[in-house]
Amino acid sequence: MSAIDDLVAELARLPTIGRKSALRLTYHLLKQPAEQSRRLAEALVMLAEKVHPCPRCFNLTEQEVCAICADPRRDATLICVVEEASDIGAIERSGEYRGMYHVLGGRLAPIDGIGPDDLTIAPLVERVRAGGVREVILATNAKLEGEATALYLQQQLAASGVSLSRIARGLPVGGDLEYADGVTIAQSITARRQL
Amino acid sequence: MVTTDALVLHAFDYRETSRIVRLVTRELGIVSAIARGARRPRSKFGAALDLFASGEAQLITTMGRDLHTLNAFETTKSRPALAESLDRFAAAAALAELLLRFAPEQEDPGLLDTVTDALDALTMAPKGAAEPVALGGAWCLVAELGFAPSLDECVACHAAIDSAASVTFQHRAGGVLCGNCARQAPGARTLPPAARDAIRGWLGRHASLPLDGPSLRAHQRLLREFLEEHLTDGGRPLRAVLAWERHEVDA
Repeated sequence: MSAIDDLVAELARLPTIGRKSALRLTYHLLKQPAEQSRRLAEALVMLAEKVHPCPRCFNLTEQEVCAICADPRRDATLICVVEEASDIGAIERSGEYRGMYHVLGGRLAPIDGIGPDDLTIAPLVERVRAGGVREVILATNAKLEGEATALYLQQQLAASGVSLSRIARGLPVGGDLEYADGVTIAQSITARRQL
Repeated sequence: MVTTDALVLHAFDYRETSRIVRLVTRELGIVSAIARGARRPRSKFGAALDLFASGEAQLITTMGRDLHTLNAFETTKSRPALAESLDRFAAAAALAELLLRFAPEQEDPGLLDTVTDALDALTMAPKGAAEPVALGGAWCLVAELGFAPSLDECVACHAAIDSAASVTFQHRAGGVLCGNCARQAPGARTLPPAARDAIRGWLGRHASLPLDGPSLRAHQRLLREFLEEHLTDGGRPLRAVLAWERHEVDA
């Protein structure tokens, strides 16, 4: 197998990259100065060697534990459960949450072969059982699989006695009711709050 | 451009803003389509492309391409109740997998209607009672795909079979065997009269009789073995069907 074939095969393993795109990227790299390819290779090696899941919350980090788990100013009695590490960034950008996180690494998806054992559900249950947690916020996506995952977590954590909550669903801020889809409006009505 | 009734069987994110959906449609059978921009906060698709949602799909099709473009999807019914109990969720995923793996990419209005009926029945199944409803839906889909098992006459010699007797059921042959033929058919299962009645009832779209836990497990195993024998493409495991049978999600 040639070096070109090797790289195409490796790139084609990445999500959303098919063989044609992999070939295009490979030829793009070949047109660039060799130094650029070397920097890319070094960045990939560093990524593989340095970045790992935080042993507490499974966020990605280069330190022993992630910056959020290591921050003493954060509320350790509050855990927000998200599907992916990238969801943490979205919540952090809101500036409204000062608790801890737990990254599941996906959501229950039987069609894709993803079951409870493929997610970090057991470590979450253990973390909650260990004590010191007041509330767990289930912030999985508001899609059917995310809802099922939240239900599964609710059942797994019910015996722990901690308060369980689910993030709210409904109209986006700044959105027009007139243009919202029926499912979203129905959710907004169901999850309405008393003033 | 094709406008057709459709139901979302599978959906996954593609690049930063798009989603790829696999739909069962009235006009085109199973199709894959890209919904560009579906993940944007103010996408025209909104919550329409969630799993098991029914609606009217507007597809831009291109000859010779497997991936079409979903121009619009007007939801007529979403099924959030399928995520309100884990046994319903696991069963619905198993039904979706059955279609995704084995349904052809050609017009078959019966498939859409059958899976729609099955999912609607599942949404109304009492919590903890989804298995018989899903078994009924699965056998109806198998029949719609043209693989309904023979239950009342020997599949090998066509001799009539006593409806009150326990019979030999062989997956490879595609149904029950008479005593003579059964002796030449190793690896078969014995089907008690009640189990045969249950399958006959499901295929006839009658309400399911109550079944105890061991009977349900046996039916799930029988269905999975039948699917594996007749329908599995290339030996890939039926992951959602197995997860449903093993209660991996709703334990």
